Amino acid sequence: MTPEADEMVAVELAINGKPTHLVVRPDETLLFVLRDSIGLTGTKGACLEGECGSCTLLLNGAPVNSCLVLAAQVHGGRVETIEGLAHGDKLHVLQRKFIESGAAQCGYCTPGLIMAAKALLDETPNPDEETFFRGMEGNICRCTGYTSICEAIRGAAREWSR
Amino acid sequence: MFSQPTTLEEALDVRARCGPDLLPIAGGTDIVVAMNRGQLRPAGFLDLTHVRGLDAVRHENGRYECGGAATHATLSRLPVEALAEAALSVGGPAIRNRGTIGGNLVTASPAGDGCVALLALDADVELAHASRGRRVVPLREYFLGYRKTALLADELITRVRFPKDWITAWYKIGKRGSVNISVVCCAIGRSPTGLFHIALGSVAATPIRAPHAEEIVNRDGLTDGAIAEAADAVRRDISPIDDHRASAKYRAAMSVTLVARLLRRIRDRVKEPAR
Ligand SMILES: Cc1cc2nc3c(=O)[nH]c(=O)nc-3n(C[C@H](O)[C@H](O)[C@H](O)COP(=O)(O)OP(=O)(O)OC[C@H]3O[C@@H](n4cnc5c(N)ncnc54)[C@H](O)[C@@H]3O)c2cc1C
Repeated sequence: MTPEADEMVAVELAINGKPTHLVVRPDETLLFVLRDSIGLTGTKGACLEGECGSCTLLLNGAPVNSCLVLAAQVHGGRVETIEGLAHGDKLHVLQRKFIESGAAQCGYCTPGLIMAAKALLDETPNPDEETFFRGMEGNICRCTGYTSICEAIRGAAREWSR
Repeated sequence: MFSQPTTLEEALDVRARCGPDLLPIAGGTDIVVAMNRGQLRPAGFLDLTHVRGLDAVRHENGRYECGGAATHATLSRLPVEALAEAALSVGGPAIRNRGTIGGNLVTASPAGDGCVALLALDADVELAHASRGRRVVPLREYFLGYRKTALLADELITRVRFPKDWITAWYKIGKRGSVNISVVCCAIGRSPTGLFHIALGSVAATPIRAPHAEEIVNRDGLTDGAIAEAADAVRRDISPIDDHRASAKYRAAMSVTLVARLLRRIRDRVKEPAR
């Protein structure tokens, strides 16, 4: 089905700091536009119901489930994905800590976890237990790697708040 | 069609002209879930997330006035305990950053946590139309039946108003942190004049108030006897069903437990010396 041209929506946004112009269908989610139209496949889709957190990215600095946001809604917005974290070869501290702690097993939940953790630490560099778990409660890992995931984020927090 | 107004006037205008043809969308945390499941295919959208001021909360004459697109994240930071805790119990941070009170009230799930908390605050909801103007409906008259509300297909929820200084208490029985649809949810608000507003979720076709239980504590106050009697009377206010989350019997038992527990909690608060 090819939608009529006047059914398409023009969207201006910044993706990882890069001004981007998109033309999308009104019902397309940000998740699939990033993955299929732009080729940024770091953001993962799994449950598509907002329950697993795999598709978490930052919209105007705040974590959102990109599977539940329409791309057209993001007009004028600022999107940060996992691809925007490293500077060239230099990994972001969260990425480095995830590797050091062995916090990725199948790796599918990892980009969402890292983006949720970035939002948490951006707001609270040194979170107490409750803030920590509140911040991460929207993300699940099915390889049961929670201990090393928590270790990675806490390790990053220690560097962050130094 | 995708309409993205930046002013409320424009949004109301589009709503009045297009009605059900353009589905209002705020956080999409109900709508897009249904779309992803293949249960919903809207012909077009009226995006409310760019309407200036619709997500704001204002404070006036001892009452809060929050815009229809105020998010759960925003509400979770208000010093109104029952509402803040209810908002904080919705999903994880990413859901709370998008999901709105207007969406919660329009979806009108029997388990809607925002609905239950606002019923306990005896909130008013403002429904607006471009030319007919605004009408204020007490929330207790807003829920008409299972997922049916007083909102008309050419109106938007523009505001919700509720008191700032009531003593409130809230508790939700659910299964797990961020996917925590309630098995039973209860919220109670006590007005400064000493009237109780007892609300429950997931025990009837809509979020409900519990008039039988309220009558007893309004008459007798918070004695041990009145609390026990009111908690037992809540059985007459609810009509729970069996489903995959819990049995009707369990829901009834938990309703009794929660009403008693929250009334005791409120009694402790009332006793606390004023500071
Ligand atoms: C993982 C997950 C967990 C959740 N947990 C909970 C929970 O614990 N408790 C709970 O109560 N809910 C929960 N929800 C449901 C959901 O987050 C809420 O109901 C939310 O408040 C809906 O708001 P929204 O802005 O996302 O609505 P949308 O999906 O954008 O819209 C929902 C409905 O409201 C209409 N609408 C929205 N705003 C307006 C307006 N201003 N005027 C007129 N119509 C309007 C839309 O047309 C649509 O019919 C959960 C959802 C997810 C995905």
